[in-house]
Amino acid sequence: MKVITQLGITAALVVSAMAASAHHSFAMFDLGKDVTVDAVIKEVQFTNPHVWLQIMVKDDKGTETEWSIESGAPGMMLRNGWKPSTLKAGDKVTLTLHPLRDGRPGGSLVKVKVPDGRTLGPGAPPAN
Amino acid sequence: MTTSTGIDSGALRPLRSALRAGLVVLALLLPVAQAAAPAKKADIFGVWLGIASNSNNFDPQWANTAYLPAPQFTPWGAERSRELGRLGVELPTPGACEPVNPSAFVGGFFPTQILQGHNQIVMLNEWVAVPRRIYMDGRGHPPAEDMLPTWQGHSIGRWEGDTLVVDTIGTNGRSRPINGYFANSVNATPESLKVPRLPASEQLHLIERFRVVGQGKVLEVTKQVIDPKTYKNTFSNIVYMERRPEVDVQEYYCDDNERTKDEGH
Repeated sequence: MKVITQLGITAALVVSAMAASAHHSFAMFDLGKDVTVDAVIKEVQFTNPHVWLQIMVKDDKGTETEWSIESGAPGMMLRNGWKPSTLKAGDKVTLTLHPLRDGRPGGSLVKVKVPDGRTLGPGAPPAN
Repeated sequence: MTTSTGIDSGALRPLRSALRAGLVVLALLLPVAQAAAPAKKADIFGVWLGIASNSNNFDPQWANTAYLPAPQFTPWGAERSRELGRLGVELPTPGACEPVNPSAFVGGFFPTQILQGHNQIVMLNEWVAVPRRIYMDGRGHPPAEDMLPTWQGHSIGRWEGDTLVVDTIGTNGRSRPINGYFANSVNATPESLKVPRLPASEQLHLIERFRVVGQGKVLEVTKQVIDPKTYKNTFSNIVYMERRPEVDVQEYYCDDNERTKDEGH
């Protein structure tokens, strides 16, 4: 039984990692790498086919850069705890992403701690 | 003669004769009436969501099965598979917003809503832009020269006991693979992306069997794939979905904000 549970969790993690790219290739993201950033939400595009989070990230020198974070489909996110109002411009978040392979500032959402204290993924079931 | 009820039995004779005649007529009509009675429909209607794709710790008995026996490509099928494998990792991904074909319609991440229409059953899937219409009025498929190839093809259905059997031909052959992550039919794993893509040509003939199991809470869909242009053999898989009446099917218009195309990543 323990083995089955472990398999289930592993499958869910894999699904979470890939959910952001449900309809196109996800070769652009480094799925083997997680990057965690403290950021401020600039804009939420709660749109099909995928939701995008525009976030502002400060580097060590205090320089701000805008990152584009691709999440899952709105329907999938709504079924897994999100609402269009969950994140708003100005919200401070801690966000984990799979970075773009080409080094540009952005990636696919792995998880984000939202203001009400929950940690949400890109639309696949939470891995817990 | 007087019966114990005090009524003269002779007076009842015409009534008895009439009743007897009526019973004979009824007995003769009964088989006709039974034959004309519509087959009992299982309650396949409502909103269903793929189990394996949407649950962390689902009951293993509801795990989707792989296509068996292993699909054997024709030379055309092998070449088409290589082409789809190459296109599948290109950016922007070609056909990313095009509908999946009927073999990949139900199951996966997105909910399927099954509706009873007039002489037809309609299936909607959240992420597929076009519906499936399954004609239940006893018609056959159009002759080949009159078949209009479409994304979902031409589907006719019938009830076999508690099982809805759907027969589909007439797809346009432009489908994404019918396996792996983009198929919506098999749960995504890194392994599922390494195996050869399974194409479907315009010769696809799909036979699906929809059956409610799991105390009415699970929809089992057996999909048999026959595509002689692409495969030397016939193969099948099974996907499982759970009844989710509380789920609202959302709109999924794929071109709404297609930044992947616009930004080239």
